[in-house]
Amino acid sequence: MNKVIERIINLLAFLLTVGRPVSAEEIRFTVAGYDQPTDEAFRRMFERDKDLLRGLGIPMKLAPTDHWEVEFGYVVDPDEYQLVDPGLTDEERAALWLAAQVVRVGGEPTGPEAMFKLGGAPSSTTGEPLAANLGADLDTVAALFDAVARHARIEFGYRDKTRKVEPYGLAHRHGHWYVVGRQRDIDEIRVYRVDRLTKLSVGEEDEAFERPKGFRVDEAMVERPWEAGDESYQVTVRFDADVAWLARRELPPGAVTETADDGSTTASFPVANPAAFIGWIIGFVDKAEILEPQELRDRLVSHISGVASP
Amino acid sequence: MTSPRTVKRLRRILGMLPYVIAHPGADIAEVMERFDYTREAELVDDLNLIFMCGLPGYGPGDLIDADVEEGAVWVDMADYFATPSQFSPREALVLLASGMALMSSGQAPEALHTAVQKLSSALFPDAETSLVVNLDTEPEPVATLRKAISDRQPVELVYSKVSTGETTTRVVEPWSVFSTLGNWYVVGHCRNADDKRVFRVDRIRDMKILSGDYEMPVQDLEPVVEYTPNEDDVRATIRLGSSARWVADYYPVVKKDEDIIEFYASSPATVARLLLRLGRDATLLDGPEVATELENHQRRLLARYRPQKS
Repeated sequence: MNKVIERIINLLAFLLTVGRPVSAEEIRFTVAGYDQPTDEAFRRMFERDKDLLRGLGIPMKLAPTDHWEVEFGYVVDPDEYQLVDPGLTDEERAALWLAAQVVRVGGEPTGPEAMFKLGGAPSSTTGEPLAANLGADLDTVAALFDAVARHARIEFGYRDKTRKVEPYGLAHRHGHWYVVGRQRDIDEIRVYRVDRLTKLSVGEEDEAFERPKGFRVDEAMVERPWEAGDESYQVTVRFDADVAWLARRELPPGAVTETADDGSTTASFPVANPAAFIGWIIGFVDKAEILEPQELRDRLVSHISGVASP
Repeated sequence: MTSPRTVKRLRRILGMLPYVIAHPGADIAEVMERFDYTREAELVDDLNLIFMCGLPGYGPGDLIDADVEEGAVWVDMADYFATPSQFSPREALVLLASGMALMSSGQAPEALHTAVQKLSSALFPDAETSLVVNLDTEPEPVATLRKAISDRQPVELVYSKVSTGETTTRVVEPWSVFSTLGNWYVVGHCRNADDKRVFRVDRIRDMKILSGDYEMPVQDLEPVVEYTPNEDDVRATIRLGSSARWVADYYPVVKKDEDIIEFYASSPATVARLLLRLGRDATLLDGPEVATELENHQRRLLARYRPQKS
């Protein structure tokens, strides 16, 4: 293990000070630890170390070593490498560390390593109960975050179609991560649930698009799943007395509600995504009924009738 | 692949170095605490390793100086490591998202707000408009539960079970309230069951704080919300259509095949409701209890929508 770490520290020290792109060949015969007997052994070792450095967030890039672009070499630009010191006070560092401990992103507890680049973690505050768990596949969310920060284009499968998107932002709401961006083929801003993305790929090119001025991801987000869509219905639903209290908590603030003597509640509100709306109503089984429009009543019935059992 | 232990050690070295370079003669205890060293020997090992590294030539003038003298840590001749490296997207995301989540819960100290602000502007200027982490607005009972916890007072809950809808009144000694996957939960000792229980806050229909007090357990505050199958559970085998594949990632299931899962739940109604929501996107392959419940749900729902006969 010592050998690996020494070699990588030597490589990083060299790349940070050399001030020009250096070829793999030059690294092999200059940096201590890389002088391998065969080309293949060197190549394997170097590839592994490169992946490791990139995994640590070190911006190791390829650039031509000469004007004619005959040969390419590796470069770490010190300006790009160095963290801009956010200048946190001890109190701020402690507050951030506490937040990292009580909030879980991606299921794994956050270790003190998260704080190393900020001057280390203040004495650990053990025994703090968990306050929130932002469940997610951390690799995917981190890749999207990287794309948002770099203004890199993304491509992924969603509802069986391939989408090409310029990601403007990332949001966590109601227990899910969403990515918000411009879907290029239709030139419209769309919201996608991250756990439904498949085969995500992030473009190499930085600054591949311009984010519209004044764009705010929180304004583009919708509160309820049935509000995210491009259809337009005004629905009326009756909720029986024993579920009305629960439904009222989830209705949009603008919903017009009326409570009958038997305690049942009738509510009218707009719906932009009928599939999500029907899914929500089905959750109440027979304690809720779509009264209007007839079209969505029919859709619910056809949806239910299609359920297959053995 | 480089071993995770090696990566972990390298990360710590690259985090510790800038701190020690910026604080010549730093107190060894302080360095150990900040960078999570449990034994002095570990830190000394790392310094000895750094002492072997440096720039090509690798003579006395090229190698890094590292030393511990009378409890003080010194590193010299390594100015290129004086600034920590830029955050990887993953590191930045974890810190920012944890901070923002805690802020949205209204439980954050002022120092966290300024810490997150400083960190976002150091990382990238769009951060504040492109990343939003919102825990759901705390439902009303959360504040009351927090108060009960801090006063160590038991609470009486009128609670509707998620799976069956059955309403019961229970006396609970609450230990902690937290949010996960978009729902708020309270975990505590349920006196009716005389055991540890987890309750969903949005299913608390009514509650009051009782007089008297209780003992908070010293350990075991870690709530387990992830569902763990037990022998009383119902089991169902389900085939997922392509647009229902998310179920396999979202629920704790056992994957049998690319599109076939084994689903466990405490009640057949839970599985039946999910299947109703999925409609044609899922097929129940096996699970007699679930099949009965599914037919029952289906019948009840259709009965409600059957055209009214005059």
